[in-house]
Amino acid sequence: MKNTNAEKPSLQERKFSVLIAEDDPLARRMLEKRLKDWGYTVFKAEEGKKALEILKRPEVRMAILDWMMPGLEGPEICSKLRQSKKPKYTYVILLTARDTSFDIIQGLEAGADDYMTKPINFMELRARLKTAHRILELEDHLLKTQKKLLKLATLDSLTGAWNRRTIFSFIREELERYRRENKPLGLLMIDLDNFKAINDTYGHQAGDAVLKNMVKMLKKNLRPYDRIGRYGGDGLLILLPSSDLFNTGLIASRLLEHIRKNKINFRHKATLSATLSIGGTSTDSLAQPSLEKLIQTADRALYLAKKLGRDRVILFGDSVKEEAKEKKHARKEKP
Amino acid sequence: MPEKKNPETNGSTPTMDRKEVLERIGGDEDFLKELMEIYQQEFAEKTELLDKAIKEKNFEVIREAGHSLKGASANLSLPALREAAWEMEMAGKEQNLEQAKKALAKLKKEYQRLLAYLGED
Repeated sequence: MKNTNAEKPSLQERKFSVLIAEDDPLARRMLEKRLKDWGYTVFKAEEGKKALEILKRPEVRMAILDWMMPGLEGPEICSKLRQSKKPKYTYVILLTARDTSFDIIQGLEAGADDYMTKPINFMELRARLKTAHRILELEDHLLKTQKKLLKLATLDSLTGAWNRRTIFSFIREELERYRRENKPLGLLMIDLDNFKAINDTYGHQAGDAVLKNMVKMLKKNLRPYDRIGRYGGDGLLILLPSSDLFNTGLIASRLLEHIRKNKINFRHKATLSATLSIGGTSTDSLAQPSLEKLIQTADRALYLAKKLGRDRVILFGDSVKEEAKEKKHARKEKP
Repeated sequence: MPEKKNPETNGSTPTMDRKEVLERIGGDEDFLKELMEIYQQEFAEKTELLDKAIKEKNFEVIREAGHSLKGASANLSLPALREAAWEMEMAGKEQNLEQAKKALAKLKKEYQRLLAYLGED
């Protein structure tokens, strides 16, 4: 009698690789043969240290560990595996001899997921491996969903920039660092000039494309640790760690130049020219910097940049604001 | 394949439960042959170890070798050899040299019975 149909590997069982760690050559061979019959890819170890080495491989997601082995014993391997930083979960089945009084609780507490007594009942093992599969698939699915959700929760879906909530929390974090390490922090608020006109002339899809491409162009001209987020509408915030007012101004001018000199794609092979208005501030120019204070100051600077004819950078700090207060007539013009 | 009768002699423990072991390994006769070869190699190594250990009164080795032969015998559904191996393991645990000698003789005798049984194939 050769293998029956029921013994043929199913697609579901083929996915993960299995480690067999067993010092008894007979048991090792039996396990290997049966697992291969069921469609698993098999790795073998006859002692504990080699087992631990194989467990580092990312594709090995299931392990059948003999409790008693030279080198490291099953539970030790298990707790070492759990302490390691393997990104994906490995499902562990411990094997124990039926008439030895090993403490099952000890094995489970070392991080084993399941245990079986020897001699192995292979029908039972096959069923348990199916359970392992189900759990690993659930886990993988969960991690994937978590990643997707994190992306959804932190990114602006149109531009791929950080969303408002996230860029705000980055600013708060950087402010903490500023307080701890006294590293200055710059903030830019950017508006695309005449965005309404672009939407009216070319349609909202074109407007969306312009925004998206503008973010890409800006990103290319920022340092890796700068962060760009969408404030709302066509407004963007750029967080510039380790930048005082002077550096903030330099970066802002560079961005202004770049957008001014380069065309922005808004449809396939269709481009337009655009300019930016940028308001900026930094912690070193504010007496009591806070998230609100930074936003408010950059917003006022942006307002003035637009007021003065757009396509320019205006920087504000407390001293500038004092001057502005003196020229009260300027503020009265605010609509 | 016709059922093979166990060579029952004087009502002792059966040599091999062929049906059980075949069931365990998915009915693959060729594979059973391969496993028997591994077993015979293991048995030769372990009995050699045991001979030495009994001479040297090394009860730790007696216990360990008994334990692993017990496991291997259980895997291949060899109840008589499993029983003898278990007695060996116990002899090691209890540090009983006489029992270890008896167990070794029993192991060798049962092994001969197994070979005779397999020879009938």
